Amino acid sequence: MLNYNSPIMDAKNYSGIKISVTESVIKINLRGKNRDFITKIGKELSIIPPTDPNISSGNEKLNILWLGPDEWLLYSNDKIDFKNNNSLEDRLFDQISKVKLGSVTNVTDHWVMINLKGDNVFELLSSGCPFNFNDFKNSKGAVTQTLLNHIDVIIHNKNINDLNLFVRRSFSIHLWSWMNDSARFI
Amino acid sequence: MSKNLRITNSKFIDQTSRISFKFDGKTLYGFKGDTLASALLANDIHLVGRSFKYHRPRGIMTCGSEEPNAIVQLGNDSSMTEPNTRATEIELYEGLEASSQNCWPSVNFDIGAINNFFSPFIPAAFYYKTFMWPASFWEKYEYFIRKSAGLGKSPTKPDKDIYDHKYLHCDVLIIGGGISGIIAAKTAAQNNLNTVLLDDKNNLGGTTLFQNNECFKINNTYSSEWLKKEIESLNSFKNLTIKTRTTLAAYHSYNYLLARENLTDHLSLIEKKDKIRQRLWKIRAKKVIIATGAMERPLIFNNNDRPGVILSSSIKKYIDYYGVKCGQKISLFTNNDTTYETAISLNKSGVTINSVIDIRDKSNSSIVKEAEKLGIKVHWKHTVVNTNGYKRISSIELMKLSDDGAGVVGNKSKEECDCLGISGGWTPRVHLFTQSGGKLKFRDKDNIFLPDKSESEQISIGSCNGDFELDDIIKNSNKSIKEFLNLNSSDYENLEINCSKETDKKNIWLLPSNKPLGKTKPFLDFQNDSTAKDVKLALREGFKSIEHVKRYTTTGMGTDQGKLSNMHALGIIAETAGVKMGELGTTTFRPPYTPLTFGTIVGRNVGEFFDITRRTPIHDWHVEKKAEFENVGQWKRAWYYPINNESMHEAVQREAKAARDSAGILDASTLGKIDIQGSDASEFLNRVYTNAWSKLEIGKCRYGLMLNEDGMVYDDGVTTRLDENHYIMTTTTGGASNVLSKLEDYLQTEWPELDVYLTSVTDNYATVSICGPNSKKILSRVIPDLDLSDKEFSHMSFKNALIDNIKCRVMRISFTGEHSYEINIQSSYGKSLWEKCFEAGKEFNITPYGTETMHLLRAEKGFIITGQDTDGTITPVDLQMDWIISKKKYDFIGKRSLYRSDTIREDRKQLVGLVTDDPKEVLEEGAQIVSEANKKPIEMVGHVTSSYFSPNLNKSIALAVLKNGKKLKGQKMFVPMKNKTINVTITDTVFLDKENKRLNA
Amino acid sequence: MFLINCPYCGERDQSEFSAGGEAHIVRPKQPTELSDDQWAEFLFMRKNIKGVQLERWNHAHGCRKWFNMVRNTSDDKIHAVYKMGEKPPIK
Repeated sequence: MLNYNSPIMDAKNYSGIKISVTESVIKINLRGKNRDFITKIGKELSIIPPTDPNISSGNEKLNILWLGPDEWLLYSNDKIDFKNNNSLEDRLFDQISKVKLGSVTNVTDHWVMINLKGDNVFELLSSGCPFNFNDFKNSKGAVTQTLLNHIDVIIHNKNINDLNLFVRRSFSIHLWSWMNDSARFI
Repeated sequence: MSKNLRITNSKFIDQTSRISFKFDGKTLYGFKGDTLASALLANDIHLVGRSFKYHRPRGIMTCGSEEPNAIVQLGNDSSMTEPNTRATEIELYEGLEASSQNCWPSVNFDIGAINNFFSPFIPAAFYYKTFMWPASFWEKYEYFIRKSAGLGKSPTKPDKDIYDHKYLHCDVLIIGGGISGIIAAKTAAQNNLNTVLLDDKNNLGGTTLFQNNECFKINNTYSSEWLKKEIESLNSFKNLTIKTRTTLAAYHSYNYLLARENLTDHLSLIEKKDKIRQRLWKIRAKKVIIATGAMERPLIFNNNDRPGVILSSSIKKYIDYYGVKCGQKISLFTNNDTTYETAISLNKSGVTINSVIDIRDKSNSSIVKEAEKLGIKVHWKHTVVNTNGYKRISSIELMKLSDDGAGVVGNKSKEECDCLGISGGWTPRVHLFTQSGGKLKFRDKDNIFLPDKSESEQISIGSCNGDFELDDIIKNSNKSIKEFLNLNSSDYENLEINCSKETDKKNIWLLPSNKPLGKTKPFLDFQNDSTAKDVKLALREGFKSIEHVKRYTTTGMGTDQGKLSNMHALGIIAETAGVKMGELGTTTFRPPYTPLTFGTIVGRNVGEFFDITRRTPIHDWHVEKKAEFENVGQWKRAWYYPINNESMHEAVQREAKAARDSAGILDASTLGKIDIQGSDASEFLNRVYTNAWSKLEIGKCRYGLMLNEDGMVYDDGVTTRLDENHYIMTTTTGGASNVLSKLEDYLQTEWPELDVYLTSVTDNYATVSICGPNSKKILSRVIPDLDLSDKEFSHMSFKNALIDNIKCRVMRISFTGEHSYEINIQSSYGKSLWEKCFEAGKEFNITPYGTETMHLLRAEKGFIITGQDTDGTITPVDLQMDWIISKKKYDFIGKRSLYRSDTIREDRKQLVGLVTDDPKEVLEEGAQIVSEANKKPIEMVGHVTSSYFSPNLNKSIALAVLKNGKKLKGQKMFVPMKNKTINVTITDTVFLDKENKRLNA
Repeated sequence: MFLINCPYCGERDQSEFSAGGEAHIVRPKQPTELSDDQWAEFLFMRKNIKGVQLERWNHAHGCRKWFNMVRNTSDDKIHAVYKMGEKPPIK
């Protein structure tokens, strides 16, 4: 038997901030340049990947985050059991990569998703992030890629004061512990 | 203390809460709201330090950040002490301990003061001139100079305090909470702008806060009362952030500013525990309003540095704000009207004023008339020619100025005093403006530099912009703010302002004396002990540039950066050299505005957070097995796994032997992995690697070498063809992110026509590498349904597989020369897979090995490590890897460089093997190689790049780069070490299994 | 610390970017046909202007896209940014 190991298991509560890790959501990196790529993704997922920068699109199951003019991150809201389900990735790979429309790459374990909730989440981020959140915090669905404590992150503004933050797995423990250290002083 | 120097009517000092503190070991008392300086003055202590060069007694001179003299050492523990803090900025707290610096054995009796008597022999640049000859004596001189130089003592232990950093973005940042800053803040906030107001003091209001004078009224109330109401009204704005005790440290381009907020320095030792001490704000503002005010200038005259000589406006603040009398018989010496405000304040508080000595002929302003009405005596057209007293001023000598101001006339008279207030006019604080790249202009009428052209979205308002009269300050600030923020109106349009206006001005940079200049000590830079004489000497010696004079005389080079009297130095230089001040310019103002402690700069990037660490999915297993770790880039990699107190050498020898005898297991998850898709993927690989890729079959792996455009080896790794248009590339651990961005660069800029997409998947997969003659048996237990026969699964090929229904990729590739496999599985299952392999291999004594053993094993096979055996100056030909350079391909990155005249030289350094004559002798990596043992001068012909003791060959082996090495096989060379010379023989780079039999064992 | 207007993502802090040297140095299409001197000209020679310079920048910690910038190296003023493949806006 192979066991599933998340790098971070616990959730923490601080004044106005709750940080936790939601694992086993599927994450897929999508890349493509032309109109057909967008149309095909839209057809397969019933979500059109946003072509405007710094935003996302989605439904109750999936989110597509804009990462660049030819790059998106797809992630699910629900947990996925990998032992029995690889169908989404395979289906997209066949429909996109195989027919030379772009690329489809499973990055489920490349990124760890950390959820930050509470009135003080932006206080926490401002301890180590040069990004200006003044407009971002009020626009639901906004996306940014930036640095947090010198580590690359993707931040998705799911809801008011409810963020999903993606960090590369190898950095996740370091960032987690830095976030906990920062949250003490908020 | 018998003298009562404290008056009781100050609103800013809480005289009900007494605070005890220690200065130079003596317990003293002050009140909440005091600074260390005001508390010392209330205790009649003026003498707080000794000067830098002559060790002259020095006292508190100011009440703010420009203080040159009253710099003290904080804390009683020499390991945790903080030097060079300004007593005028330290807020008093219970338990504060401070001591004088730069004196020994004590501030009252300082042996170094003997320098004062020798001062005629210590002119400007004395040290430069004296100790340069004879050169060989420098080491002896240095000891004494170091002992007598420096300010304060540095702590010996790490700083225990907590510091933090925070980013802040705003529409408008206002620096300075004086009257113009308050007007700016309220106006911006009223117009819904996200506004931040900073002030370095503990409360807002600047000097207007305690301006209770009939001559200064707004809407028929005292200016202080009016301002107090304005400050109170700021509380209602949610979009206005006010930060007091916050000093702007640096103003960079694009309105990026750094500010230091003091959070707990003013709290008692108990209250500040476990809290952040200081926070560095990294501010990005759309617009910046500078309202930093002006600094009072001293006057430059003979012996102007005695304890008890204080800036006139500071005396006013000490009496009006802190309720402290700086003396009981005070004389005032000035060239402007503001001193009369001080005189009136002192008079109202019942302090005896001897007289005001004014260098001007007269003044008709209302404030001067008011003072004269109160009976304050004024000596018009007079100057102070000398002061007396050693540890405290005791009297002054004054004389009448000649009509041209260049000399003195008449008889000398003497005035007893215990304090002398001085004022030489005002200098706008333009430091931040110039830091941001702004240029200054000179205003002749009052000899000031003013902001001129600015590079960023900013304005300067109030006295930092040259407005010194209350009505000008309010009217001009209001006008500038409206223009800057595009507003039609504000709250400050129709105020009724009454204020005294200065009618007469006169300025003399260096005041004359009855003695020749050579016999006087008119100090310019009080901290660095440079006098007007020194500056004049420098000019006589031929220095012309102010930047040179500054460094030669050290004027303005102390911890105060010469804030107080740089202007006088400039004035004297201009006058002496006969140039206009506007043409002379100023020295450069550099950040930080006031000194920052290192802790503030570093923030929380200490200890665990000093550097970023990356961990593999299998990290915890290595920790459990007590592996030693090695830093590779940001990664923590298992280095070796000592058991039973093994040394590193013993562990590595055991691991390396086990890997070849039976089986070894390595965590290779750190290798960079790039997923490549697109119809031009093969063509892309053809262009980035030196070898050919188009014909690689699906399911096969190939080693590739990547060059820089200059032909030098850049990175290497195995790439696998997963499908027609789908590859997975591996890179070195350290090179991963650079390789990806280099490849993206080529795709985006040089070859945008290629249909190729790159996605980093380094962190997505854990990589478990099993090697050794039993690796096949172990893998067959981990994945029983995979056909591992050489026919089905040959060396350099790949299979998809399922382990417990989890997809994984298995590559049969080898970095050790052994039969080996790499299993890539999604990271979440990496640790579990590792444990499964370990369990399956137990029967075969599967041995975990770290990076050190990996390096040893590949060296036995002569495999290179880029970055260790290469250093950016080695081509594939130098590595004797000609076989990997495709002859057929038209182009690839670096191809053209491989036949430049320099790269085809035969005597380039080339990779060779080395064996030592004594097989037990292990060479040091980096050791130099020579061809003749005793020839001098020694010609170094190469160096050792990798060196190990091989347990499998039972001898020392090494790789080296050596000039013309290819042709020197079999020859003897020498490696000279500190105590001996090691004899070596040049060999082939492959030491073990030249026929590659073990790959298929 | 500059504020750089990424042509794809908008205004961001300089720490998200990396600089890539002089712009508009095109890699020769047929390097093998060049003399040593011609190749060296492409490989090594850079203008290093004091004043207005065309530069390559990468939004390394954002969208990972390369773009060009018109910057004055003496006062750090950024006059324009433009995408790869586009002509520099006239100075």
